[in-house]
Amino acid sequence: MERDTYYQQYLRRTHLLGRAVSALCLILLVGAPFLIGLLLGAMPDLGAVARGFVSVGLVWTVSSVVEFLVYTPMLGSGGSYLAFITGNLINMKIPCAMNAKELVGAKSGTAENEVISTLSIATSSLVTILVLALGVMLLIPLQPVLQSPALQPAFANVVPALFGAMAYKYFRKDPKLAAIPLCVMAVLFILAPSLTASTSFMIIPSGAIAILLSYLAFRKGQKEG
Amino acid sequence: MTVTEQLNSGSMYLICGGIIFVIAVICVIFMIRAWKAGIALGMDKTRMRRAVTSSATFSVLPSVGILLGVLALSGSLGTPWPWLRLSVIGALHYETQVADAAAEQLGVRLGADAMTLPAFSTIALLMSVCIMWGMILSFFFNKRYSARLRRTPKEGKADRGFGDRAMTAMFIGMVSAYVGSYIGAFVSGNGRFTFSGDFTPLIVVAVAALAMAVFTYFSERKGKAWLDNFSIAGSMLIGMLSAVLIG
Repeated sequence: MERDTYYQQYLRRTHLLGRAVSALCLILLVGAPFLIGLLLGAMPDLGAVARGFVSVGLVWTVSSVVEFLVYTPMLGSGGSYLAFITGNLINMKIPCAMNAKELVGAKSGTAENEVISTLSIATSSLVTILVLALGVMLLIPLQPVLQSPALQPAFANVVPALFGAMAYKYFRKDPKLAAIPLCVMAVLFILAPSLTASTSFMIIPSGAIAILLSYLAFRKGQKEG
Repeated sequence: MTVTEQLNSGSMYLICGGIIFVIAVICVIFMIRAWKAGIALGMDKTRMRRAVTSSATFSVLPSVGILLGVLALSGSLGTPWPWLRLSVIGALHYETQVADAAAEQLGVRLGADAMTLPAFSTIALLMSVCIMWGMILSFFFNKRYSARLRRTPKEGKADRGFGDRAMTAMFIGMVSAYVGSYIGAFVSGNGRFTFSGDFTPLIVVAVAALAMAVFTYFSERKGKAWLDNFSIAGSMLIGMLSAVLIG
């Protein structure tokens, strides 16, 4: 009971802190271009920003709603506040948190998952901040190495390498479940190759198929058991 | 002072570095709180340490990939602004796309035309405005949505215990979408069923998965459990090396 009370209090404070830092970061990130504009003597053209937002921003707004709905259950409360502030969700934070959760055997929706996910995303964000800070400091000596033509294919394939490793880890848990969304997605992308530009949106139908199949298997197991 | 020099000035580094510092402090605060909560909730310190170690090793290679995004954008936007955008809030695939689209609205082509200061501040604001919605949604709805998610398994009898499976299934769906896109790009990338598209991502997926299988074998069958902390990073490195070999 005492543990439960402590956890509820921890969550309440997490939401309070999460909201405060989200508001602070919003002010900092939206305020920065104005501050820079003031410094450089060239304020942003708000009309052009509005036109640009209509042309590209609306798509990202819809994408943000989907990301919020899908990733918040995966990351827990503290983890999602941090992840939406620090970014790079699909290519790093989500797989990183899932991997940490898997390694320690934490179950979704539990206090343990909340703690592990927050630890994982905070660590991952700090590593990125550190690597980028070092990279920017050493930009001149690092530039020839990082931009050498020989290494370009490696850096162009960070995401396939990540999803390859994660595919083995997750597909082997339930190969039958994995086969159907994988086949459906492969066929869709083969028949409509232009969809490759919207892969992040295709996560929704693919995830929905996997969840539906998993739910049917779960119900079947419950009836039999 | 040229535009590039102004975009790379000390004041720019101070503003962007200052914001990054604030967000780093926020991460440390969340981390300390979570660690203390874990101890108070009776969690094993070794497991928490393992989560931290594995997340750190996991994040190094993708972070180097993100650094390349900074390099790519620094030619037209200077170094401090892409450094800020990609250290926090931004996403590698997003920043270049939005910066390009914003530049297009202003009649400037990134990397091709000379950047002007009004164009820069406008592009910077549009990049911020386009990606802030995750934070806004979190601010308004995270508490209510999380409470609803926690309540669901207790109230719905049939759903009891399904939450964890649903998250795994969602992740399987996410990986399937990406692997499916690589298959589609190879088979129909240059016209439907031409099998002449880019095959490198597919090979990289296969090699990284194979490397992961080897790591898993040693970890599960040969008692080398410590390998788990490095298996993803190691598999990624091997997969990326295969891309270099293919060229």
